[in-house]
Amino acid sequence: MEPEKNEIYEAWEPKIVMFCCNWCSYAGADGAGIGRFQQPASMRIIRVMCSSRVDPVHVFSAFLEGADAVLITGCHLGDCHYINGNEKTLVKFSFMRSMLKELGLEEERLQLNWISASEGEKFAEVVRKVTEQVRQLGPSVLKPEGVA
Amino acid sequence: MSELKAAADIKVGDRLLGWAASEDMRSRGASGGLVTAVLAAALETGLVDRVLILKKVSEFEAYPVFTSDVQEVLESAGSMHSVPVNLARCLKPETCAGKIALPAKPCDARAVVERAKRNALSPEGTYVIGLNCGGTMHPEKVRKMLETVYRLGPEEIAGEEIVKGKLVFFTKDGKEHAVPIDDLEAEELGRRDSCRCCQVKIPTNADLACGNWGVPGDLAGRGTFVEVMTEKGVNLLKNAVNSGFVELMQADERGISAREKVNKVMLGMSEKRKAEVFVPIEDGGERFEYFRKELENCIHCGACKEVCPVCTCGEDSKCTFYSSPADSYKISLFHLVRFLHLSDSCIGCGQCEDVCPAEIPLTRLYQRFAVPVQKEYRYLPGISDRTPPFFALKPEDNEEKEGGGCSCR
Repeated sequence: MEPEKNEIYEAWEPKIVMFCCNWCSYAGADGAGIGRFQQPASMRIIRVMCSSRVDPVHVFSAFLEGADAVLITGCHLGDCHYINGNEKTLVKFSFMRSMLKELGLEEERLQLNWISASEGEKFAEVVRKVTEQVRQLGPSVLKPEGVA
Repeated sequence: MSELKAAADIKVGDRLLGWAASEDMRSRGASGGLVTAVLAAALETGLVDRVLILKKVSEFEAYPVFTSDVQEVLESAGSMHSVPVNLARCLKPETCAGKIALPAKPCDARAVVERAKRNALSPEGTYVIGLNCGGTMHPEKVRKMLETVYRLGPEEIAGEEIVKGKLVFFTKDGKEHAVPIDDLEAEELGRRDSCRCCQVKIPTNADLACGNWGVPGDLAGRGTFVEVMTEKGVNLLKNAVNSGFVELMQADERGISAREKVNKVMLGMSEKRKAEVFVPIEDGGERFEYFRKELENCIHCGACKEVCPVCTCGEDSKCTFYSSPADSYKISLFHLVRFLHLSDSCIGCGQCEDVCPAEIPLTRLYQRFAVPVQKEYRYLPGISDRTPPFFALKPEDNEEKEGGGCSCR
């Protein structure tokens, strides 16, 4: 039997695509695991060599295929493994954010955070915080119907 | 009347009145045939290798061609308000080798500047002769106007001109038919929507800014007001005067202020229209629903991208390459990428809207994304040679936000 629409909504948990820089936040995710910091299982982590590798196309595809939010993480400013990759991310991010806002998506659905390799606790905290924000917002308007 | 200006005296910033020296060119071109004469002179003396012009089929149809034949340049003369082509799109690395000159409306000139920033052409080898533009008309609407308002057949038309806020059609039997543009626009006829919202009417970003605004009464219809904007513009005019194609004289103060006044009135009208069209929509789901509804008839032909003068991506572009119908459940990746791409570069020329087979008001949609971003970065595309904000390597590069040519916002 087909479930009622409400049932889908009740069962809904945010699905967030997270881009992690190989040199910092990806190791930060490891640190969070090793340190046993509790975090919800809402993230789908994609490792990239630098946060500036994240193209707008990646972000839009994530939204179109059903992500409720996209979280981009990279090294702190000045700590980039490739000199200034994360500064380019920042420029790109501000453009993507104003474009998605104009399209009608809430600002919290696209986030950028700097997490270093040693900040396992911060990693878990960011994941908890973003998941909670997105849970408050509900499913994204871009989500195809029938995708949980 | 003051005396003629010598070629050696022309410098950047000069405001002049000019006309073609030969009677033949004067009669062919509008307002004294200055632009036609400058183009012909540049070609004749070898200042440029080729000229990009609109080859006329009829009053409603013309197509862009590169030519090195002076005769063809002479035949292309005319204002052609009902052929809203953006010539800049023809300037691609593979087609625009050598030196090129082209006549350009403000939106063409802006597109040339934006294309130069994206390495589609060399700014040194491109001579842009700007033309004042109060707006162009879609050929289909012109036909409708002729039928319903003027009660004329398209085959009767010999020419058209916009004079003092009136759209005048000349018929082959030598009669004039004039209707105020405001009356036409009240019935959603008249100029294209993007022209009614346009915010650059005098192409100060071109090498020469020509037009009939500011021409004194005794020269009306026989002279062109021209402002010299760059060194390349000086070369063009010097060349035309030295080879005897063009005669120039100093413009008087009254003409200069009259030109400013017309410009101000036109820009004021655009502001008013913009306020009518761009009604703010509430944040959130409602706004998304608006975009989804507008784009729901899209057949993904890609014509809007193909014709877009600021897009220099060519065949392999992100918007078409990664877009798949399977993911386009609510809105397609093609449109999302285009929205982002155009948010700092859209010049609002309206080409996309003209070619859309599903009649989606694309320029309005793109401008909804472009206006807030361009305001935030104080960047008006196609006016100065400032790097587009999206290409900045550091956020600070955008912080020195002055000098984007955005004074008219």
